[in-house]
Amino acid sequence: MTVEATGIHRAFGGVLALRDASFTARPGEIHALAGENGAGKSTLIKVLCGVLRADAGTVTVSGRVATAFQELSLLPDLTVAENLLLTAPPRGRLGLVRRSHLAAEASRLLSLYGVSEIDPRSPARDLAVSQKQVVELVRVLALEPDVVFLDEPTAALAQREVDWLAGHMRRLRDGGACVVFTSHRWREIERLADRVTVFRNGTHVATRERLTEDEAITLMTGRTLDATYPDVSAIEVGENALTVTGLTSGRLRDVSFDLRKGEILGVGGLAGQGQRDLFLTLFGARKPVAGQLSVGRSRISARRQPPDDGRVVARRAFGAVARRFGVHRTGERWSLRGPKDAIRAGIAYVPEDRKAEGLLLPLSIRDNIALTTLTRRSRAGFIRHQAENAAISDVTGKLAIGAGRATSRAAGELSGGNQQKTVMARWLLTDADVFLLYDVTRGVDAATKHDIYHLIADLARNGKAILFYSSETEEIAHLCHRVLVLREGRIAAELAGPVGDAEEIVAASIRETADA
Amino acid sequence: MRDLQDRLGYLVLIATAVAYFAVYTTSLGRPPGSFDYLAILNTTMPLALVAIGQSLVVLTGGIDLSVGGVVSVCVAVTAATGGAPGWILVVLLLGAAAGLVNGLIVAFGRIAPILTTLATLSIYTGAALWVLPVPGGSIMPEVRAVLSNPNIPTALGWLALAVAGWWVLRRTRFGMRVYAVGSDETSARAVGIPVERVKTAVYALSGLCSALAGVFYVSTTTAGDANAGAPFILTSIASVVVGGVAFTGGRGSAMGAVAGAVALTLVIDVLFFAGIDPLYQSLFQGLFLVVAVLLGTAAALLARRRTT
Amino acid sequence: MNRRALYAAAIAVAVLVIGAVLTPGLASWPGLRAVLVVASFTGFVAAGQMLVVLVGGIDLSIPWVLNAAAIVLTTTSLGMSQRLPVALALAIGAGLAAGLVNGLGVAWLGVPAVVMTLGMNGVLQGLTLGLSQGLTCDDCGHYAPSPLRDLFAGTVPAALLVWLGIALLVTVLLRLTVFGRRVYATGVNPRAAFLSGVGVKGVTVALYTLSGGFAALAGIMLVGYGGQASLGLGDPYLFESIAAVVVGGVSILGGRGDYVGVVAGSLTLVAVTTVLRAQQVPEHGRLMIYGLVILAILFAYGRERAHD
Repeated sequence: MTVEATGIHRAFGGVLALRDASFTARPGEIHALAGENGAGKSTLIKVLCGVLRADAGTVTVSGRVATAFQELSLLPDLTVAENLLLTAPPRGRLGLVRRSHLAAEASRLLSLYGVSEIDPRSPARDLAVSQKQVVELVRVLALEPDVVFLDEPTAALAQREVDWLAGHMRRLRDGGACVVFTSHRWREIERLADRVTVFRNGTHVATRERLTEDEAITLMTGRTLDATYPDVSAIEVGENALTVTGLTSGRLRDVSFDLRKGEILGVGGLAGQGQRDLFLTLFGARKPVAGQLSVGRSRISARRQPPDDGRVVARRAFGAVARRFGVHRTGERWSLRGPKDAIRAGIAYVPEDRKAEGLLLPLSIRDNIALTTLTRRSRAGFIRHQAENAAISDVTGKLAIGAGRATSRAAGELSGGNQQKTVMARWLLTDADVFLLYDVTRGVDAATKHDIYHLIADLARNGKAILFYSSETEEIAHLCHRVLVLREGRIAAELAGPVGDAEEIVAASIRETADA
Repeated sequence: MRDLQDRLGYLVLIATAVAYFAVYTTSLGRPPGSFDYLAILNTTMPLALVAIGQSLVVLTGGIDLSVGGVVSVCVAVTAATGGAPGWILVVLLLGAAAGLVNGLIVAFGRIAPILTTLATLSIYTGAALWVLPVPGGSIMPEVRAVLSNPNIPTALGWLALAVAGWWVLRRTRFGMRVYAVGSDETSARAVGIPVERVKTAVYALSGLCSALAGVFYVSTTTAGDANAGAPFILTSIASVVVGGVAFTGGRGSAMGAVAGAVALTLVIDVLFFAGIDPLYQSLFQGLFLVVAVLLGTAAALLARRRTT
Repeated sequence: MNRRALYAAAIAVAVLVIGAVLTPGLASWPGLRAVLVVASFTGFVAAGQMLVVLVGGIDLSIPWVLNAAAIVLTTTSLGMSQRLPVALALAIGAGLAAGLVNGLGVAWLGVPAVVMTLGMNGVLQGLTLGLSQGLTCDDCGHYAPSPLRDLFAGTVPAALLVWLGIALLVTVLLRLTVFGRRVYATGVNPRAAFLSGVGVKGVTVALYTLSGGFAALAGIMLVGYGGQASLGLGDPYLFESIAAVVVGGVSILGGRGDYVGVVAGSLTLVAVTTVLRAQQVPEHGRLMIYGLVILAILFAYGRERAHD
C-alpha cells in the first residue's frame, strides 16, 4: 500500500488550489500535513482519497482507504447507527437489513472504540459538533483501513477526545497502516507525527522528520512571523462603542463586556465555545434568549429611526412576539430584529465563510460591494450608477482589490484574499463604527493576510471598534488590545494585550476553571 | 415531536378517517359498510401507487411531474389491449423504461428534476394520445376480478403487497442509500454512495409505480382515457406532502405518502357527506394541504424549541 | 444581460425562420402577429413565474389566479365600458392578494413554495367554481367590455404594446433599481444576502405578489382576446410558464436570468406549436415534439454543473 501523488493541479473556478503539488506517505507512519488555511491541505486530501479529480498529475493510493473530512460527511437525517453502518449494515434472512439490530450493532461498535454517551438512535443533525466529529472518526476507524486520511480531526474535540484519537492513530500505525492527518495545533503534530510535510500556496514546501514550530511557521508562511503584525499598542483607545450585558444566546451564557472605540478586542478560546453565537447575535442574525446590547453612536440621529439616546437594545422583555412581527418600541429602546437593524446601528459583520455567508459569487465585484449601501446611492429606488461607480472605484482602489481588474467581473473569479477584501470593502462603505471580524483570514494567502492585519489596525486608528475572532490564536495574541477567552459559552478569562504569546491564550482556554 | 412530524401522514389519516366516520354516520344514519370501504380502497389504489413512486423520488430530493404522462400512456396501452396479462407485463416494462429515461437525464444529464420531468410529461402524454386518441378501450373481466374486484377486497391484497414491497426496499442497501442521497448528496458521494445510480433507480421505480397505477385505473374505471394521468401530478405531490415526506429529501416514508393519498381521497367523501357543494371541493383540498404542512412545520419548530 | 438570454433569442429567431420556410403564412405580418399575440399571454404569466424562480421559488397557483381574475373581470364589468376601470382594479387586486398570501406563507410561515402555491391554486379553484356556481351565475356570461377586446384589433394590436410595456417595466425593475439588485442577491445566496442587510423575506413576498398580479393580467388579456371567461382558461399556463422561463435561460435554481430571455422563450414555445399546427401535425405529435424541443434546449444550456 502506498500514497503517492505527483504534479497535482487542481483549480476551483479559476482559483488554483493546488499547483504542481507532490506528496508521499509510507505504510507504518503517522504523517502530518501542515500549512496555513488555504494552503491546499484539504484539497490534497480530497484528491488523494478520490473525492475530487485532479486537473493534472498522477495519484497512486492502494489499499483500503478511509477518510474523515473536515466538513464531515455525516448524513444529517440518518441516525448515528445508520451513518456508522451505511456500508455494512447487519443483515438477516434474505440479506435484508435488520433495522431492529442497527442501534445495538452501532452501540457495540461505539463501545468497541471506547465511545459512550452518544445515542446511536439520535439523528446525526441533533449531535453537538464534537459528537459529530467523533462519529465521523468511528465510522472511519471501523473500516480498519490500510490508508487513513484525517482532515482536521481534532478541531472540534476536547483534550480527552484528542487523546482517544491519538491512541487509535498509533494503533493503526503500529498495525502497518499509513495515517495522514492535518491539524492547526502544533503540539498535536509534534506529539503524534513521525514525519511532517509542509504545504504553502497549494504546493509542497518540505517534508521533515524533525521540525520545530518556528521552522514550521517560517516554512508555512514563507517569512518570519514577527514582522507581519502591525503594532497596535500605540493606537489610542477611546470611549465605549458597544456594551453587552448578560447575553445568553445559543452556547453563550451570561456574557458581558465593553468594546471601546479604537480598540481591537480579541475573542479567544477553543473552537466551538460560543464565539460564532456571539458574533451572529451581536449582528442580529441570531435571536438572543436574554441580554442587552447598547451601541453608543453619536451619529445615529442623523439616520432614519433615531432612538433618542442612540441606543439599540435587543432584549427578551418584549419577547418573541415583538421580534416576529417587527413591532418597534418607540423611544429609547428598540429590538434588534435582524442584520438590517444592526447595520443601521453601525455594526458590520465579516464572516469566515465567504462563499456561504459573505459573497454572492456569480454576481459582479461591484454588485457585491454595493449591496449593503444601495439605498444611499439611489433616487426613488433607482440606482445612481455614476455615484455607485465612483464609490466602488474609490474603495477598491483603497484596498487594492484585484489590481487592474474590472469591477464587473464575477466575485467567484477572485482569489481567496481578494474575495475577503471585497467583503471588507462592502462594510467600509457603510461607515460602520463597530466591526465584527469573524475569522477573516481563513483561507487567505500570506500577503493578503498581511494587508488585512494592517487594514484592521487602520480601522482601529480611525476610531472603529473591532471585535476579532480567529481560529489562529497567534493572530489574536498579536493583534488585540485585550482578549476575552470563552469557554463553554462563558468568559473564562480576560487577558491584557497584546498578549504576544499564543500559548497564554491557549492555556487560559483549556485550564480547568478554578471557581467551577 | 420529531416523531410527530415523521408520522404526520398517519395522524392526518386518522383524523380524516374519524371525520369521515362521523360525517357519514350523521348523514346517513348508519356507519359506513363494507361496500363503502371497498369503494374507497379501489378508488385510492391508483393514487396510492403513484404516491409511493413520487415519495421515492422526493426522498432523494427530486420531483417527478411526468407521473401524469406515464400513468396516461400506461392507461392508454392497457385499455387499448384489454389488459391481457402479457400486455400488462409490457405496460409495466414501459412505465419502468419511461421512468428510467427520466432518471438517466436527471442523474447523468444533470438537468433539474422538475425540468426533465416537465419535458417528458409532454412526451409521454403525447404518446398516450397516440395510442388512444379517443377515450375508450376495455379491461378483461378476469383481470378486473383479480385487481379491483367490486365485490371482494382483492385490492387490499395488492395494497398489502405494495406495503410489503416498501418494507423490503427499506431494508435493502438501496433503501438506505435513497435516504442518504436525499439527506446530503455531497456527503453521500464522499462516503462512496453511487449517487447517480441511486437517482436513476428511483425514477425508474417511480415509472413502475405509475404503470401499476395505470393498470389499476383501467381496472377500476373499466375504460381508458389518454388524459387520465394528468390529475395525478398534483395529487401525488399533495399525498407526499401530507404524508410527511420532506421536500428537501431524506425524511419521510412511502407509507406516509400512502396514508396521505388515502386521506386526500377520504376528504372528498367527508365534504360530500357534510353536504358541501362539490364545486367548493378543491378549496378545502387546498386548505387541507397547506394546513397539514403547517402542522408538520409547527411540530418541527416545537421539537427544536424543546431540544435547545 | 446573460449569455443564455441571447441563446434563447437566437433559438426564437431560428424557430420563426424555420416556421416561415415551412409555412409561408408565418412570414407575413398577420401570421407573425398571431404568434406574438398568443405568445404575449405566455409572456405575462412567465414574467411572474420568472420573478419567483429568480429567488429559487415556484408559483403553481398561476392557473386559477389567472382564471379567477378573468371571471372577476367579466362579472364585475358586466360588459360595460364605464365599469372597466373598477373591474380591472378588482381583477388585478385579486391576483395581487393571492400572490401576497403565497408570499407570506412561503417567506414567513416557511411553507415550501410548491405546497403553498399548490394549495392556493386549489383554494382559488374552489372559490371560483363555488362563487360562480360553475360559471353558471347570472353575470358569468357577460362579454368583456369593448375597450378590452379592442386591444387585439388593428395592424399593431395594443395588446402587444402592453407586452412591450411589461417587458420594459420588468427589465428596468430588475436591472436598474435597488429592488432588482436585492432580488438577484437573494436568488444567488439568501443567507449571504440576509447577512448583507437585504430584507430577504420582504423581497420574497414582493415577488410572489407580483407573480399573482401578472397571472391576473394574463387572465384579463385572455378575456379580452376570447371575449368571454371560461373555466380551465389558465390550465395550459402552469407548465407553459415554467417552460418559457427555463427556455428563456433563467436558472431554475435562482439568481440568474433576464426577462428578454423569457420573451424569447415564450415566442419559441408558441412558434413551435403554431408551426406544428400549420403543418397539420396531430396533437400527439405536437405534444411529443414540444417536449423534445424543451429537452433539447435544456441539454443545450440548462444543465447544472458537474459535481466536483
